[in-house]
Amino acid sequence: MSLNDRDPPPAPARRTVSLAVFAVVVLVVAGAAIAATAGYYALRPTSTPGTLTVTDDLGRTVTVPYDPARVAVLSPSIMDVMFRLGLRSHVVGVDCYAAALGGLSDDYSPDQVALWNLSPSMCVQVGPTFAPETLVNLTPALVLASTIVSVAEVEEITNTLGIPVVMLQPPTLSGILVDVSLVGEIFGVGSKAETLNGQLSLELYNATEIDQSLPSFPTVLVTYSVDANGYWTFGPGTFGESLIEIAGGSSISANATTPYPELSPAQVLVSDPDWIVYGVGFGLNESTYAGGPLWSQFTAVKMGNLSGMDSNWLTEPDPTMVLEGIPALLAVLHPSAP
Amino acid sequence: MVTSSAPPRPAPRVSRSVVIGLSIGAIAVLVFVLSPLLGSVSVPPRDVFQILLHQLSGGALFAQPCAGTPVSPRLCGAYEVIVWQLYLPEILLALIVGAALGISGGALQGVFRNPLADPFLLGISSGGTIGAAIIYVYQFEVARADLFLPLFAFLGSVTTGLVILGIARGRFSSVETLLLAGVALANLLSAILSLVLLYNPVGSEQVTFWLLGGLGLASWTIDGIAFGAIVVLATLLSLHGRELNLIQLGNDIAQSAGVDARRVRLRLILLASMATAIAVAFTGIIGFVGLVSPHIVRRLVGSDYRIVLPGAAVVGAIFLLGARDVSYLVFPGSLLPIGIFTAFAGVPFFLYLLYRQRQSSTMGLP
Repeated sequence: MSLNDRDPPPAPARRTVSLAVFAVVVLVVAGAAIAATAGYYALRPTSTPGTLTVTDDLGRTVTVPYDPARVAVLSPSIMDVMFRLGLRSHVVGVDCYAAALGGLSDDYSPDQVALWNLSPSMCVQVGPTFAPETLVNLTPALVLASTIVSVAEVEEITNTLGIPVVMLQPPTLSGILVDVSLVGEIFGVGSKAETLNGQLSLELYNATEIDQSLPSFPTVLVTYSVDANGYWTFGPGTFGESLIEIAGGSSISANATTPYPELSPAQVLVSDPDWIVYGVGFGLNESTYAGGPLWSQFTAVKMGNLSGMDSNWLTEPDPTMVLEGIPALLAVLHPSAP
Repeated sequence: MVTSSAPPRPAPRVSRSVVIGLSIGAIAVLVFVLSPLLGSVSVPPRDVFQILLHQLSGGALFAQPCAGTPVSPRLCGAYEVIVWQLYLPEILLALIVGAALGISGGALQGVFRNPLADPFLLGISSGGTIGAAIIYVYQFEVARADLFLPLFAFLGSVTTGLVILGIARGRFSSVETLLLAGVALANLLSAILSLVLLYNPVGSEQVTFWLLGGLGLASWTIDGIAFGAIVVLATLLSLHGRELNLIQLGNDIAQSAGVDARRVRLRLILLASMATAIAVAFTGIIGFVGLVSPHIVRRLVGSDYRIVLPGAAVVGAIFLLGARDVSYLVFPGSLLPIGIFTAFAGVPFFLYLLYRQRQSSTMGLP
C-alpha cells in the first residue's frame, strides 16, 4: 500500500481531550478575566489618585495612569487590541523599524496602515537599535510593548524617562483574552473588552467544537518564509502551532526542537503534508514560495492543496488571529466543516 | 680523478608524495561514500546505495530502488528525490567549492608570499555578498533566486576582483600595498552592506544566513555550471606552479628565469578571484577553507607549488565535504550554515599559524 492510499489518520483521542480541556480553560479564563479582573491580574487601585497597579505578561508589577490620553504602542498585535477597543485616538506612537529607514512598512501591512490611520510621524524607532528620543518626543504617559523591545530597553524607558511600560506578550491563545481585559481595565473600557472577549471566546469554543466532530486531522506545513535552504515554520509552544491545532490540523513540525525551525525540503518530502499554507504579505507571495527548494515535488503542491494567508494572521498573537486566522485556516483544512 | 657527489635522489620524496596523495584520495573516497548517508533526513543506507545504483545505471539496476526494504513506494519516491536531487548535488557542490577555495588560497598565498592570505582577504567575497544582498533585500525576482542569486553574487565578486586588478596595474602595485588595499576594500564593502541592510531590514535575516555559507542552492544544473568553470580555472591555476615556485625566490631570480613576476601575479589574482567568485556565488561565504588547505598540503608534501595547487584543491574539497558531514552528525535535522563548522576548524588552525609565525620570527634573537 502506498502512502497515497492510506486512510486519513483518526483524530488522536488525547488531542480531542486536550482541545476540550482547552475550550473549558478558555471559557473559564475569559469569564474570570471579565468578571474578576482585579483578582486575576493583581490589578488594584493605588494610593495615588488616577493610577492602577497591574501585573503584566512578564510578571512585572507596574503602576500606570488610569485612562491615559497619550500612549505609545510598540507592537502591531497590541495596536490591533487598541483599535478593536475603540482606543485609536489614544495612540500617539507606534513601533517602526526606523522612521528614516524602513519606516512603518516593515512592521505594518498597507491595510493596517490605512485602517489604523498610521503616519510616519508616529514612528518610535525600535530597530536596528531602540531610539528613546523618538519616544520622548511623542510625550506618552504610558507605553504598551511586546518583546519587540528588550527588557533592558523597557527598564531604560521606565527608569530614565519615567514612563511606565506594560509588556503584553501573551504566551497562549487564551492569553490574548487576558490582555484584552487588561487593556480594557487600564483605559476604563471594560464593557468593550468584555464584548470583544465574548467574540473571541465564542470563536475559540466553536473551533474546538468543530475539532471534536472532525474524523481526521490533516497534516499541514504552515510556512511564513522561504529561502534556498528550506521553509521557516512554527515549532512547539508557538502561536502558529496553537493556531494549526485549533483549526483541526496536525503540524509536521510539532516535534521540532526549536520554536521557529527551518525545515529542509527533505524533511518536508518525508513528512509529506496533506496541506501547505503559506504566509503572504511583507514582500512574500505565492511565486516566492514556488521558487523554494523542491517545491514542485511536494505532494500537496502536486494535488493543489495550497493556500496563502495573510502573514499577520499567522504571526501576530492578537484578536485578528483568533477572529480571522482560525476560521480561515479551518476553512482551508476542513472545507466541509460547519 | 675528481668525482662529484651524486645529487639527492628525488625518488623517496616522490614516493612519499604518492603515498600521501593516495591516502588523501582514499579519505576523499571514504568521505564521499559516507556523505549520502548524512543529511537533514536519515535515509537507510541500503536504500541510499540501491537508489544510487539505480540512478547511475539509468534504471538497469534495482528497477524498484527500495525493493527488499520495508519502505513504501511513496516514501521510496521521496527518498529518491532526497538522495538524487538533494544530497548528491549538495555533496558534489561541496567538493567543487572546496576545491575552488583551496586552490585559490594556495595561489594567493604564493602570489603574496604570505601564509595568511586567503581568497576573502581582498574583499572578493564581500563584493559577492553585496550582490546577493541586492537580491534578498530588494526582493528582485526572488522567485528565480536560484538563477539571479548566484549571478548577482558572481558579478559582485568579479567586479571587486577587477577593481583590485586595476589597483594592481596602477601606481600602487607592490605586494604589500595590494594586500592593504584589499583589506581596505573589504572593509568598505562591509560598510556598504551594513548600510544596505539598515535601510532595508526585510531580507536581512536571509542575508545573514547566507553570509555564513550554505549548500542549499545545490542542484545538478548549478553543479554542472560550477564544475565546468572550476575545472577550467583550476587547470589554469595549476599550470602556474613553476612560476609561483620561482616567484618565491624573489622577483630578480624569477625574472632571470624568464618569468615576468608582475604579469604572472596579475594573471593569478584574476584567476583566483574568478574561482572564488564561483564559490561565493553558489554557497555564500565559507571561510578558512582557502586558508587552511594549502597549509595542510605544504606540511605534507613541501612547498612545491606544482603539487601545492592541485593538492590544495583536493584537501579543500575533502575539508568542505567533511564540514558538511560533521554539521549533520553534530546537529542532525538542523540546517546550520556550513561556514560555522569550517570556522570552528579554521580558527584554531589560524591561531596555530600565528603562534608558529611568532615562534619562527623570534628564533635567533638573544
